[in-house]
Amino acid sequence: MPSTSFKDELLAETRNLRAFAISLSGSVSLADDLVQESLLRAWSNSEKFQPGTSLRAWLFTILRNIYYSNYRKRSREVQDSDGLYARRLTVPGDQESHLDLEDFRNALTKLPAEQREVLTLIGASGLSYEEAAVVCQVGIGTIKSRLSRARAKLVELLQLDDAPQPPVERKVRRAG
Amino acid sequence: MMNAARVTKFEKPGAGSDRPAESGTEAVQAIGRALEAHYADLVHAPLPDKFLQLLARLEDDKSALKAEGKRDALD
Repeated sequence: MPSTSFKDELLAETRNLRAFAISLSGSVSLADDLVQESLLRAWSNSEKFQPGTSLRAWLFTILRNIYYSNYRKRSREVQDSDGLYARRLTVPGDQESHLDLEDFRNALTKLPAEQREVLTLIGASGLSYEEAAVVCQVGIGTIKSRLSRARAKLVELLQLDDAPQPPVERKVRRAG
Repeated sequence: MMNAARVTKFEKPGAGSDRPAESGTEAVQAIGRALEAHYADLVHAPLPDKFLQLLARLEDDKSALKAEGKRDALD
């Protein structure tokens, strides 16, 4: 049965849930609908949540299911129309790895949805491989390979690999 | 001298610009930082009041239902 603290816990996760929804759908307005529906569903299914497991992962699973069953088609039509990413920001780093955040976001939209999703879950939402596997309903091996393909694709899109030519074999044969 | 230069290069991956085979690590770190910054923007974006209102309403409904149930039981 929902308790006051369950409500507070839901509230505490709402920002993260919304960030995931925006990443997933590419639209703030769709994301807000998704979050609203997910909170309602979480509330009415609260007895199915297992205490001690990640509420965040549970909520992400609910939201993702709603998205893929009802919203996915709509999302392509309204993507990026919200002006959320209007600012130009630069990510701090050393001189070789400065990345313009807008460039990064553009590159992110070019990833296949399943790769973007895993990258977000692991790299930003703080989920473990195991939790991401539950949310995406695939095995951990699939999570790892999607993650690595996502990173490789971003490296390529953002031209972070500063090699002008395909890698030349430079490795020196190790002694022994 | 050649040897010394080569050793330095191998000990500091990413310090030179001519190490394409090893560029992954630094690039992946840059991507990680960009992703975190991107996501932090989303997490810290103003949260619409409607979510707070929704949860408050759900809780009120629950209390109301409970109260009703109790009244029924007492009647």
